[in-house]
Amino acid sequence: VSVAAITPFVRRVGQATSTTWLRTVDHKEIGILYIAMGLIFLAIGGVESLVMRAQLATPEARLVDPETYAQLFTMHGVTMIFLGAVPLLVGFANYLVPLMIGARDVAFPRLNALSFWLSLFGGVLLYFSIVAGGAPDAGWFAYPPLSDRPYAGRGVDYYVMGLLVNGAGTIAGAVNLLVTILLLRCQGMSISRLPLFVWMTLVTSVLILGAYPALTGALVMLMSDRLLGAHFFSPAAGEPLLWQHVFWFFGHPEVYIVILPAFGMISEIIPVFSGKPIFGYRFVAGSSVAIAFLSFSVWAHHMFAVGLSPAENVFFSAASMLIAVPTGVKVFNWLATMMGGRIRFQTPMLFAVGFIAVFVLGGLTGVSLAVVPLDLATTDSYYVVAHMHYVLFGGTVFAIFAGAYYWFPKMTGRFLSERLGRWHFWLTFVGFNLTFLPQHWLGVWGMARRMWTYAADTGWGPLNLVSSIGAAILAVGVALFVWNIAISLRSGAAAGADPWDGWTLEWATTSPPPPENFEVVPIATSKRPLWDRKHPELRDPS
Amino acid sequence: VRPPAEAITSLGWVVGVIALVILVGVEAAIVYAAWRFRATRAEGVPLQIYGNTRLEVVWTAAPAVVLTVVFVLMLGTMQEIGASATAAGGPSGAMRIVAVGSQWWWEFRYPRGGGEVIGANELHIPIGTVIDLDLRSNDVIHSFWVPELGGKIDMVPGRINHLRLYAARAGVYTGQCAEYCGLEHAWMRITVIAEPSADFGHWLDAQAAPRAPPTGAAADGERVFLAAVCSSCHAIRGSGAASLVGPDLTHVGSRLTLGAGALRNSDQTMRAWIADPQSAKPGVLMPQVPLSPSDLDKLAVYLRSLK
Repeated sequence: VSVAAITPFVRRVGQATSTTWLRTVDHKEIGILYIAMGLIFLAIGGVESLVMRAQLATPEARLVDPETYAQLFTMHGVTMIFLGAVPLLVGFANYLVPLMIGARDVAFPRLNALSFWLSLFGGVLLYFSIVAGGAPDAGWFAYPPLSDRPYAGRGVDYYVMGLLVNGAGTIAGAVNLLVTILLLRCQGMSISRLPLFVWMTLVTSVLILGAYPALTGALVMLMSDRLLGAHFFSPAAGEPLLWQHVFWFFGHPEVYIVILPAFGMISEIIPVFSGKPIFGYRFVAGSSVAIAFLSFSVWAHHMFAVGLSPAENVFFSAASMLIAVPTGVKVFNWLATMMGGRIRFQTPMLFAVGFIAVFVLGGLTGVSLAVVPLDLATTDSYYVVAHMHYVLFGGTVFAIFAGAYYWFPKMTGRFLSERLGRWHFWLTFVGFNLTFLPQHWLGVWGMARRMWTYAADTGWGPLNLVSSIGAAILAVGVALFVWNIAISLRSGAAAGADPWDGWTLEWATTSPPPPENFEVVPIATSKRPLWDRKHPELRDPS
Repeated sequence: VRPPAEAITSLGWVVGVIALVILVGVEAAIVYAAWRFRATRAEGVPLQIYGNTRLEVVWTAAPAVVLTVVFVLMLGTMQEIGASATAAGGPSGAMRIVAVGSQWWWEFRYPRGGGEVIGANELHIPIGTVIDLDLRSNDVIHSFWVPELGGKIDMVPGRINHLRLYAARAGVYTGQCAEYCGLEHAWMRITVIAEPSADFGHWLDAQAAPRAPPTGAAADGERVFLAAVCSSCHAIRGSGAASLVGPDLTHVGSRLTLGAGALRNSDQTMRAWIADPQSAKPGVLMPQVPLSPSDLDKLAVYLRSLK
């Protein structure tokens, strides 16, 4: 989908010029740019995964060679995390946060534009590696010495440079959203009335500021080793495990950076479609703060097998298990919100409920990976691949789909097709589980991650075939989503300002909103200002 | 002693059953809520419930209690399997075997008398004996993993890690390098042969011996081996070739597989492997050595004769 194709539907016709999108500093347009970037890279990363699933469908296949396979899984991971999930979530935050808090724009609109273009340029730099001597091939977490000379080629330099540039954009974006939320709230919008999506964005921004600098530091050290002959990570004069510590100090909070905004979307959608306020607002918000704190003290659960002392392993195991408590609190509160409600199962709600259904399994396998002996049995195997996709696909991507159906009418003034949406949901739900559920068993049986092929005598063929068939079904589902966007932009049903009978301030303005967002600056009379207007007799007491 | 793999498996069952109960409970609650509270034609505003502190406390505390139980069980299992990769150990009487990972094969060094016996890609262990595997790497990070015998521990260059193995039953166990280590991570397989102590002793004696002097075609094969580049990477004790860059081939004919599990070892596969190692294991560091068909035959016969 080219940017130009979207233009007429978000800008008033006649206003748009060919360079509008390049020059814009409007948070809504930048939000849409982020979302478009995220969707395009999601598609690219998806195609990469489909090639891998085709290669693994049968044992000892030769569809791709090991070098191509290494580049595929490296690019798939880097793309999905840094160029897919993060830009999508930042894009929704960009679009929605000022609207939800009744602001005119973000605090620093020009910085906002710079953030986006840095993020995109980082991605372009990364993909430029393909024509500059080969994509990075040392995995998305690029462990030295494998990512260092002489083992890895030029591609890893592009990995380093691309992520440095992309990370600078992400950090600047987090500063912007943080200041926006703290300083630009409209009258009445106290911190304790923030919509939960804004709450999650607030916590996520703090996480980004804590985590991304660690990645930047690690990348600078790796670059020094590779290009300047330094020895931060060399076994002879440095310490290869230093990279793992610094990388995962970033890497685990990164998991929450891409799941907390998803929690936020779910916490907006489930109440509206259940006709009830979120159950336990303070606990849903507070548990995120707990998750954020804990997330900085769990990184070494990625390293139980590297040879840390038992005391270190026990500490990180306990901290990792603890995260299950605030996460569980959220799941229970979402369920309690549904209980006793009047639930409308339109597509956003289908994906939101699907999210809970699959995310729970990812959460539970996550606990098993915090149990040291079980981690030693399953880490670096397909069990981890399954767990991670239950959290990042079943979690983050399901929530993004839910959010896309929910806020598309706000962004474009048109609904996405419900009929296609239902097909999209069920194909995704079935395809997703068919793809990733069998991988739990493959991992327990001994299939390591990142194998470009496997021997026929392992007996892993049938489940791998099931997984690949699942991936094909999933691909059809996602293709329907793309198709849905394409046709709905042109001919979707008109949505109006408040198509879902919503409560938060973004529904108090037109769809799409005018450049100044609100014709009259709104006042937050409670957590649910629109509810108060619609039900004066049942005003939200908060 | 209980094999580490059994201890891990029984802990896995306990945690798995707890997780399954929670999973089924939550999924049932989702289905119940979705069905019972779906919007029907009768419209109206549902009761606005904002929360319940007592419930919040319950569903914060209950998982914490379950996790505490899991944590305590975990401590017991860690103690039992010796999940300390930092300290050499195991109970006294453990047999210490050195395992070295290289791109993309394994070297094993067994203690015998005052010295050691070197083998490759096939780990033999006596059953009923605790093995303290001493894990090292020559290049990048590898990870030693034989699921039926125990967990995995990484081989990190510049460090020595430890993994406790114990096989109760004789048999052939297969494993796999678990940490991505470059192109042929996939064909870096492990074969573990667990056998009764006496058989293990005989095997070790045989492995300790230099190669038997070859005769006939095999003798020609040894000349090919020494004249071509083979001997610049491989050792065959007794032949004069002593380089340890690649796997020691002194008793390669006795092994079950070639190329760290890429091929079953047979007369045909041996010849095919030497003729074109890249076709069975693309990326392998062993070069394709130009040899005449007859030299290839003799070399294959020689290597197969090294029992």
